[in-house]
Amino acid sequence: MPTDIGVIDLMIGFPQADRRHNYDFMRANLRDRESLEEFEFPAQYMFKDVPKVEATSDRVRALLDLMDKYGIERAMIGVASRGDESRSDDSRRALREHPDRFFGCIDVDPNRGMEAVRDMVHAVEELGVKAASAFPCGLNPQVPINDKKFFPIYAKCVELDIPINVTAGVPGPRVPFAPQYVGLIDEVCWFFPELKFVTRHGCEPWADLAVKLLLKWPNLYYSTSAFAPRYYPKDVVHFANTRGADKVMYAGYFPMGLSLERIFGEMPDVPFRDHVWPKFLRENAIRVFKLDSA
Amino acid sequence: MTTPFEAAKAGGSVDTAVGFPKSREDMYEFYGFIRKQTRDSASKEGGELEFPAGYMFKDVPKWDAEGMDDPVQILLAELDRHNIRQAIVTPYDGPAQRALNEFPDRFFAGVNVDPNEGMEALRKIDKAAEEYDLKCVHAFPAGLYPQVAINDKKFYPIYMKCVELDVPFCSTAGVPGPRIPYAPQDVAHIDEVCWFFPELKFVTRHGCEPWADLAVKLLLKWPNLYYSTTAFAPKYYPREIIDFANTRGADKVIWSGYFPAGLTYDRIFSELPDVPFRDDVWPKFLRENAQRVFKLPST
Repeated sequence: MPTDIGVIDLMIGFPQADRRHNYDFMRANLRDRESLEEFEFPAQYMFKDVPKVEATSDRVRALLDLMDKYGIERAMIGVASRGDESRSDDSRRALREHPDRFFGCIDVDPNRGMEAVRDMVHAVEELGVKAASAFPCGLNPQVPINDKKFFPIYAKCVELDIPINVTAGVPGPRVPFAPQYVGLIDEVCWFFPELKFVTRHGCEPWADLAVKLLLKWPNLYYSTSAFAPRYYPKDVVHFANTRGADKVMYAGYFPMGLSLERIFGEMPDVPFRDHVWPKFLRENAIRVFKLDSA
Repeated sequence: MTTPFEAAKAGGSVDTAVGFPKSREDMYEFYGFIRKQTRDSASKEGGELEFPAGYMFKDVPKWDAEGMDDPVQILLAELDRHNIRQAIVTPYDGPAQRALNEFPDRFFAGVNVDPNEGMEALRKIDKAAEEYDLKCVHAFPAGLYPQVAINDKKFYPIYMKCVELDVPFCSTAGVPGPRIPYAPQDVAHIDEVCWFFPELKFVTRHGCEPWADLAVKLLLKWPNLYYSTTAFAPKYYPREIIDFANTRGADKVIWSGYFPAGLTYDRIFSELPDVPFRDDVWPKFLRENAQRVFKLPST
């Protein structure tokens, strides 16, 4: 793994000490006692070292320091919808004060219909966000990837020429997985051939199907969010090393579930071929998210 | 003595769905998109049905290609004879473009879409809105190939676009005349669309039968849902719709004809006086509702 590449991290959050209420939005769909009463993070049963973060007066500065330490040049940060802005005060300030280090993605809930569409337009025009994102299993009610409620969102992404990042595969939180079945992506890529669709959170256990679809659909991409490098699916690593060098992109999961120390400690052991590394860590993201135009 | 119908008619009517006359040969060719998915021999190419819904339309207007006058002049003469002051036509269809340019106070543009085209359909709407003062978007769900149900996901980006442009969406609803499956036009599908897009102005065409009772329930439930009488001779207007217009729905029912596809204006205007609308309904039905919903100039 080369060390002189300015890494682009497609999923990062600000180091927030008190995260007790970050997942309140999921409670309506949780049923088991552990998730409701014990877990601070609904997927913590499989994340052994959720980063502990000290309270800090300037979370933007703290994140920049960490990014500097691990060679992350730029990072994509989530922006909440209008009406929920206080959830992303840090993001808004970071985008304003450090446009060379951060770019935004607008979090979309298709249940909101035209309001969600208008939020996207507003976020692109006012905040210069480079992408949209959605968490189909985390929505209330859940919305499958190929559901009609998503279709106006996808159409607007094409009109705005921004990619959408969508979690795919069995989610960690103990909610039904059906809305994120990887097979649902096929129909979306067929109906919206211009849409750039970027999967998040691994596509497991259908990584083989994900690879089939990545090969089939030119505008489908895979990002490694929420996966420690030692768990990157073999199918995906193999695909990146063969026909898919332009399709697989690094995304982390700090501070939600993984420390940058762990990610970059394990990363050199991923058996990517030499020419894959710069694409995986940086170049694909620049191309797909059109970062050159910033 | 002038009746309320005559007074309303004298103020000018609006027809929200008008076509330009075509020769019999051209009409036959035009209906190829329907024959493509009919299965019965009468409807298929060479079958006895020249018009796929011809088994129930007895006096379809017809013109022979030879000696046919200018379609714009034929249509204008028809409109003038019945004092129809404004008509929504489909640009990019025959002489519509010329008519829209030459008679901008009489003709207005409503663009047809096929949601099977995906983003291309949205671009066509945008293009029409740039070129014309676009008044509506319309579709024929059962006639599309493949068919697309009113509440199908393929329609959702179209509905989004209509809300953004603030133009009504008009859809045929109810069992279609052509012998193709009706399921895509089940009136019940409209409920979900009105729920998810509360700002969308949705105008039904072609009667909503045999679910006119359900249509009335939905018209009452959804403020932006409207009914237009396309393809129905006045003697066949559903009883429930007339009652609704006479009670709580005077602002929701919009007259439209079916010229030249299946009905003459002579027939429509000879039957209209017998429709038992209450006095105050007539001007709304013939003109005012259409002008408000489609944002047409007042006449």
